[in-house]
Amino acid sequence: MGKCQRKKRNHHSIRDISRAARTRARTKDLDQIHEDLKPENAEKIKNALPDPDLPGMGQNYCIPCARHFTTSFALENHLKTKIHKRRLKALKEKPYTQKEAEAAVGLTTDNDAKRIASIMNAKKDEMQQ
Amino acid sequence: MRLEKCYFCSSTIYPGHGITFVRNDSKVFRFCRSKCHKSFKMKRNPRKVRWTKAFRKAAGKEMVIDSTFEFEKRRNIPVRYDRDMMATTLKAMKRVQEIRQRRERVFYKNRMKGKREHERQQNIKTIKKNVELISGPTLKAKELLQKISEKETKTEMDLS
Repeated sequence: MGKCQRKKRNHHSIRDISRAARTRARTKDLDQIHEDLKPENAEKIKNALPDPDLPGMGQNYCIPCARHFTTSFALENHLKTKIHKRRLKALKEKPYTQKEAEAAVGLTTDNDAKRIASIMNAKKDEMQQ
Repeated sequence: MRLEKCYFCSSTIYPGHGITFVRNDSKVFRFCRSKCHKSFKMKRNPRKVRWTKAFRKAAGKEMVIDSTFEFEKRRNIPVRYDRDMMATTLKAMKRVQEIRQRRERVFYKNRMKGKREHERQQNIKTIKKNVELISGPTLKAKELLQKISEKETKTEMDLS
């Protein structure tokens, strides 16, 4: 019913995909990129010193896609591509967190902040007296 | 000992189960089974994968706002063991679970309200649309059509 049934496990033996999925080859996650996109961090990345180990001395970096380019021309071309635009769209959403996962089953944190604050206030009053 | 929640599907992870991944910025991700770990490696968004709790909550499939969710809390402050308190807590847990189950049943019933009627309408629609597939314009099909039209007039009569 509903969705049409698709043949399963069509692409399980594609080597490049399974290799790219290894944690050791992990690329930046969306929440990390969200951090990078904050103005103070973006500034730092833009003003980074040239690094001979990176493509194009690390001077042509696309922050949303977390990718280095060899030339500024290549970077400009990249900004026009579908991959880049898709990434921009994905970044508009709020990043998913462990907190959200826990909230989904009704688990929140209670560190008794109210009670501690009241105790601290009482202590302060004592000190003043 | 602490029962953690899976990053991907939000299920409980008991000691000795699942896998922990520590990203190179020292953020910890826990997974209940390899299915969740694999999905994470493939960079899937749990909000968009239909079998996760995050999806079900976001899509209105399950109860979200309820007072029974106020009880389970992660408390980072140790509490001195007290036998009476432990007994009452255990009692309360059972009771809360009972109430939540009842409310969930009500929620489900409400969600499924009018589903039968909707399904029936859909079936009638598909039959009407594809009558020729029912072995050509035979007597059988004609009979079916008649039945449907009769039913419709009946429901219209009921409605009016």
